[in-house]
Amino acid sequence: MGILGLAKLIGDIAPQAIKENEFKNYFGRKVAVDASMSLYQFLIAVRQEGAQLTSADGETTSHLMGFFYRTIRMVENGIKPVYVFDGKPPQMKSGELEKRTERRNEAQKALDIAVEAGNVEEIDKQSRRLVKVSKTHVEEAQKLLKLMGIPFVTAPCEAEAQCAALQKSGKVYAVATEDMDALTFGTKVLLRHLTFSEARKMPIKEFYLEKVLEALEFTMDEFIDMCILLGCDYCDSIKGIGPKRALDLIRQHRSIETIVEKIDSKKYGVPENWPFKEARRLFKEPEITESDQVELNWTGPDEEGLVKFLVEEKGFAEDRIRNGSKKLQKAKQTSTQVRLDTFFTVKSTTQAKRPAETKKEEKGGKKGRGGGSGYRRGK
Amino acid sequence: MFEAKLQQAGTLKKILDAIKELLTEATFDCTDSGIQLQAMDNSHVSLVSLNLRADGFETYRCDRNVSMGMNLTSLGKILKCCSADDVVTMKAQDAADIVTFVFEASNQERVSDFDMKLMNLDQEHLGIPETDYACVVKMPSAEFARVIRDLSQFGESITFSCSKAGVKFSSTGDIGTGNVKVAQSSSVDSKDATTIELQEPVTLTFASRYLGLFAKASGLSERVQLSMSPEVPLVVEFKINDIGYVRYYLAPKIEDDDGN
Repeated sequence: MGILGLAKLIGDIAPQAIKENEFKNYFGRKVAVDASMSLYQFLIAVRQEGAQLTSADGETTSHLMGFFYRTIRMVENGIKPVYVFDGKPPQMKSGELEKRTERRNEAQKALDIAVEAGNVEEIDKQSRRLVKVSKTHVEEAQKLLKLMGIPFVTAPCEAEAQCAALQKSGKVYAVATEDMDALTFGTKVLLRHLTFSEARKMPIKEFYLEKVLEALEFTMDEFIDMCILLGCDYCDSIKGIGPKRALDLIRQHRSIETIVEKIDSKKYGVPENWPFKEARRLFKEPEITESDQVELNWTGPDEEGLVKFLVEEKGFAEDRIRNGSKKLQKAKQTSTQVRLDTFFTVKSTTQAKRPAETKKEEKGGKKGRGGGSGYRRGK
Repeated sequence: MFEAKLQQAGTLKKILDAIKELLTEATFDCTDSGIQLQAMDNSHVSLVSLNLRADGFETYRCDRNVSMGMNLTSLGKILKCCSADDVVTMKAQDAADIVTFVFEASNQERVSDFDMKLMNLDQEHLGIPETDYACVVKMPSAEFARVIRDLSQFGESITFSCSKAGVKFSSTGDIGTGNVKVAQSSSVDSKDATTIELQEPVTLTFASRYLGLFAKASGLSERVQLSMSPEVPLVVEFKINDIGYVRYYLAPKIEDDDGN
């Protein structure tokens, strides 16, 4: 599940690297969406009275509902999404995956107990924990996207890594995922909350890798090392080291090798045969399809195909599907609004001074608003 | 120390009306040559550039450059407290975190002053390249506002087509189509004249919403100037009597036919 506590750490140490923005301001942007994460998100969140949506014969349709409507919302707002699916998990992740299976077993036990006790709230909570994406879910989602005319890519390995590669090569503007390790893979612009339901009214959070590095005064290598220390999916981290210690240690020693050498091994349990080097390599040279071999084409929806698949096979309401298809078609035809940034170049940026700095500098007529994480634009 | 006195508070009110719906907050940069403001709206589609020259003020003094970040809603509240023909004085100390507005009624009997807290804003200055525009249209601002208002009812975008004969504004939407043709006037000198300087014919499409917001500045000036070139942002300029101008830049809408 990404990097432990990275979002909070960035929020505390480098608030200037995070910007909040409204959904409607992303028109014209191509965005790589981590589809595997979205699948989980939809299966967990898209529910009615605590149960997943199903077709008449009991097959789950929550994921299709999610992909259909949230994609339409993006397209209507002028966003061009490309979904990236996970391939096979890397070898290194087996440990993490085992842990997840274990947690799932625990949830199953808890669910059984809750069912016996008739505790509705607990049943709801535990059944959400039990959600597992199956191959059918993935295939159905891909079939739906194809009918909607939305491109998707299946990564050879981790979806986040593939997203990052697409972003770095300029194929897309940003990566939309909740997993912070997309940053560790080198994504320069990460968007959180993009696939959330509109009803939650969550503003989109943008994370800028370069500003994170600048604020932390880290190189990319040091940042990756810090992420490994914080706790990633690929290996254990040193016991007893939290976000603050991890940050301090990297600031002091600049690499995990030196830390392992210098650290008091009695106080902190460094895992034996710690494969941090392999984890680092996974972040730096992940298995990906080169971007120039990826073709992204946004075509129009196949309305009849959608009706056949969603209405006839899955029992969706026909008028809603036709309506959705019309929206996709309409969005396809409207011209795209260009941004001024494409014509004018930014000459200089003046960052709002943070309260702490304002005291030191006596320049200008500005002063911080005091407290908190300083002012952010775009609220 | 910064101090600027303006004979007509109404000018300030009109300037605020012209920008407050595009921007929620903005930084006014005061130097010894005058007051400038440059800011993009949240979605980075349009840009406002305001310039008030020092010599346009009754008195103007700026010892050190001051950047004043203001919340425009708050500024609006303060400007509600004055009449259009009040004399207004803006004051700020060097490195101050407040700005003071003093309003003096023209009959000298009423003097009010208001302090406003300043804000600390991120600022992005854009370099705007000098452009030789292919087409420059000058027309009465009321006429411009009316065209935009009428056509906004039809569609989300308005197409400007300029030729030697005149400018055609058109819009298409669910209810149908609208076209307004404004021809070049025969007498060029009248203040109601429409004039067109044309290098080459230009056709561009812009979002109605933004044009509507720009048209709110027509209270500032009787004339408006539209400058256009193929595939570059439109410039809409309103001169402010003897003191400066407000300019809007708007990125065009383009057809994307390659599916990307």
